[in-house]
Amino acid sequence: MRWWKTIGLVLAAFFAGCQSQTKQYSLRGQVMAKDEAASEFTVKHDDIPGFMAAMTMPYKVKDPQAIKDVQPGDKITADVISVRGGQEYWLQSVRITDQSGRQTAKPAVKHALNVGDVAPDIPMVNQDGKQIHFSDFRGKSVLITFVYTRCPVPAFCPRLSSQFARIHEDLAKTPADYEKTHLLTISFDPKYDTAPILRKYGLAYLDNHAEGFGHWDFASSDPGDMRRIADAFGLEYFEGDNQISHSMDIVLLTPEGKIAKYWSTEWTAAELETALRQQAQSSNQHQGTRG
Amino acid sequence: MSNRLLLAGLAWIVAVATFGLAGCGSQQEHGSELFDLHCADCHEMPNPDLKKQPPKLEGLFRSKTLPSGAPATDDQVRKTILEGVGTMPAFDGRLSEADVHNLISYLHTLK
Repeated sequence: MRWWKTIGLVLAAFFAGCQSQTKQYSLRGQVMAKDEAASEFTVKHDDIPGFMAAMTMPYKVKDPQAIKDVQPGDKITADVISVRGGQEYWLQSVRITDQSGRQTAKPAVKHALNVGDVAPDIPMVNQDGKQIHFSDFRGKSVLITFVYTRCPVPAFCPRLSSQFARIHEDLAKTPADYEKTHLLTISFDPKYDTAPILRKYGLAYLDNHAEGFGHWDFASSDPGDMRRIADAFGLEYFEGDNQISHSMDIVLLTPEGKIAKYWSTEWTAAELETALRQQAQSSNQHQGTRG
Repeated sequence: MSNRLLLAGLAWIVAVATFGLAGCGSQQEHGSELFDLHCADCHEMPNPDLKKQPPKLEGLFRSKTLPSGAPATDDQVRKTILEGVGTMPAFDGRLSEADVHNLISYLHTLK
């Protein structure tokens, strides 16, 4: 009887282990930046089959010794640990394989446009098939993010769109802020994400309330213009086999169309919403002072 | 002679049944792998960051309708996988016809 119990416990533990869905992948790359306070490396890495195409992106590091030892420019190998379906991931077993690049490393993400610069007036087409530009939203604070509708990774585009939906719903409760703000979701995948696809996608996040498009546009541009937008805002994206690996970026524009702030990984919907409201309200105050 | 024929016939039936079942198993096995790769992260993992929690897919074909309200048929599930529905992304272009078939075979096993 005990024998069977033991087998049962082993099997239960095995299946429990399976269900936790901790996945491990091998990473090889170069550390481009280190943020000790955030326990984070930005790594330019090779393709990580099953997890991420070759790209530059930030990773949390839980080993304090690794954070201390590794310097920007170091080439490393590490294990990427992914749990809860990629909702959380970090580097483990970080090993320095080459220190010769320490002096030559440059910041990983360079935004062509700095805070205070005006966003370029690149044409896009929205969910209604109408051409739009960043300048169309002058007078409103605009929160912009970048996704593609076929993104299957819940921690990436579905999370971004879900959080934008929460911000949209919250703002609708305050008409004064709602009127002075706008949300804009831009697709990395203009070939697939045509106006009808963007409309269907947007309606899913607007609970089928089409009037919400008046406050939240979903747009794409032709591939060349999308690259120009990416270069302007420092976005990284790579098209693979019907999948796009991309950085997670959010940009806040002032009512004058100037860049107010960038976010990449460290943000919450509440933080974004507060920044958007404050931007709109401070602009109202300035207008009031001028008027 | 008739006994030999009978034996040969039985052997053929056993072989077909054996290989047939093995083939079916591998289809579902492949479907299971595809499910883990493409579906489980949303359908098996509660995620407070998502606007809507994707439904669990156990017993998908026991009900007459899918969670979307559409009929619970292979064709409708195939359409859902390829075109997406609601906040579920489309897998058009990322799964072959055989992949979709194997995935649906696996979904049938989820009781």
